[in-house]
Amino acid sequence: MAFFEKLLRSKIFVWTLLVLPGLWPLWPIFVVPDPSVGADPLKFILHHFGFVACVLLAVVLTFTPLRVLWPKSKLAQALNRHRRLVGVGAFAYALLHLIAYLLGNGLSTLVHDAYVVPKPFILAGLTAFTILLVLAITSLHALVRWIGGRRWKNLHRLAYLAAALAAYHQIYARKLFPVQVLWIFGPLALLEIARIVRQRANAAARPKAAAAG
Amino acid sequence: MLIRSPKSWEIPTSAVTSASLYHDRPRRDFLRTLGLGLAGAALLRPSALLAATAGFPAKGNPLYPGSALKPTPEEYVTGYNNFYEFGTDKGDPKELANQGWKTDPWTIELAGLVRSPAKFDVNELVKKIGGIEERVYRHRCVEAWSMVIPWDGFALAKLVALADPKPEAKFLKLTSFNDPKSSIGQRDHNLNYPYVEGLRLDEATNELAFLATGVYGKPLPNQNGAPIRLVTPWKYGFKGIKSIVRIEFTATQPTNTWNIMAPSEYGFYANVNPTVDHPRWSQASERIIGGGIFSGRQATLMFNGYDKQVAGLYKGLDLAKNY
Repeated sequence: MAFFEKLLRSKIFVWTLLVLPGLWPLWPIFVVPDPSVGADPLKFILHHFGFVACVLLAVVLTFTPLRVLWPKSKLAQALNRHRRLVGVGAFAYALLHLIAYLLGNGLSTLVHDAYVVPKPFILAGLTAFTILLVLAITSLHALVRWIGGRRWKNLHRLAYLAAALAAYHQIYARKLFPVQVLWIFGPLALLEIARIVRQRANAAARPKAAAAG
Repeated sequence: MLIRSPKSWEIPTSAVTSASLYHDRPRRDFLRTLGLGLAGAALLRPSALLAATAGFPAKGNPLYPGSALKPTPEEYVTGYNNFYEFGTDKGDPKELANQGWKTDPWTIELAGLVRSPAKFDVNELVKKIGGIEERVYRHRCVEAWSMVIPWDGFALAKLVALADPKPEAKFLKLTSFNDPKSSIGQRDHNLNYPYVEGLRLDEATNELAFLATGVYGKPLPNQNGAPIRLVTPWKYGFKGIKSIVRIEFTATQPTNTWNIMAPSEYGFYANVNPTVDHPRWSQASERIIGGGIFSGRQATLMFNGYDKQVAGLYKGLDLAKNY
């Protein structure tokens, strides 16, 4: 456990975990060519980067509930060192996803689907991306200080909205319900519910503890 | 987006015997080790290469030559498939439709409002029709991607003539196979099965409507809808029902599978139309399969470029309403 904790605390380890999924498309495109990928490699890249962005966003949002639920856990503490890095990682993959979209579809298709004949799932994706962009920019140290702790925290609660929009975006991009959405966002939803229950219980217990003291 | 809750009588996928076990791999391996070697392997190989072998090689139809269009590489035509009976990822059908699903022998039935109802073995049918021809057609998927495919088969009009519809017959209802033991999609109920499609009678007798028994000069691989499938190049790909077992002539418009699943997104007509968007994405342009990373998009053509042949079918019809 100590080794695992040390590993989790290491920035290099987390950086590696963040970069590796970005290299994955090289495998079915170049290393072991898969015709179902080669048929439209850019679509594979587009879906893959979007998928990784969703996973990272869901993962980084579990850090807080994990710490609330298990405040003494060294692993939860180790994870919470990397909130900014993983959050910016989610933004980076969302940016790659958008670039892949623009490369494959062109700006005209984006304008058509977002403005001329608006498609809700495209608007949801764009809104989620805009939120992540704002949160990534305001994660610069100087800006965190300039905005101030409480205001910064409130602003960054928008990450939950981004996650909900990303889940919607992922579901409505497909002809049938993609079960992976449940695997990506289900654990986060459960942890958030548990966290709210725990925080309510803590708040209820606090005045009693004060009275007893 | 659709959410289906399983019915009480539906069996979870986890309870299903895996295809490899079901199709008794040990027996195959046992025969191999017995030294039956090639003979044994030939007897037991998946039936894909045996499907609808009659009539090959087909003669090219000069009206639809390959010279006018550049066919998509064969590996993508046979490796990038929507065939939800065998999984929802494009690479699934090539794998999952070739794990013992039998497409030979295959019987196709002509039924309903016809003077000559009949059942045919698919190879006999090809001989009765008078053989097959090759046509190179554009193929446009409702998901906004496109291919160019050299099909082998015969005009659907020939089959309609064989069935000899009664005057009250106005539509064709085409039904695909139903075999949950071989089809993971049917076990999972990812769509309403068996898959059903429909055509107006005058659409079915249009010169373009085609029943394919082959692609790239060979019998259809299972993943492309062996042994016989519909090809209507002016319509979105989901109209091209695969592995047909029954064609019924009806007086009323049949309801097609995707229309049942999402009526606001998939209609009966499904004509390729760049001016009528899918509710969730634009149909104005399409990705070219096999074009690589930097291929971009090409403009989608009205009726997929076949307006000369089919525009007359839809005079006076509001195509935005009848999508």
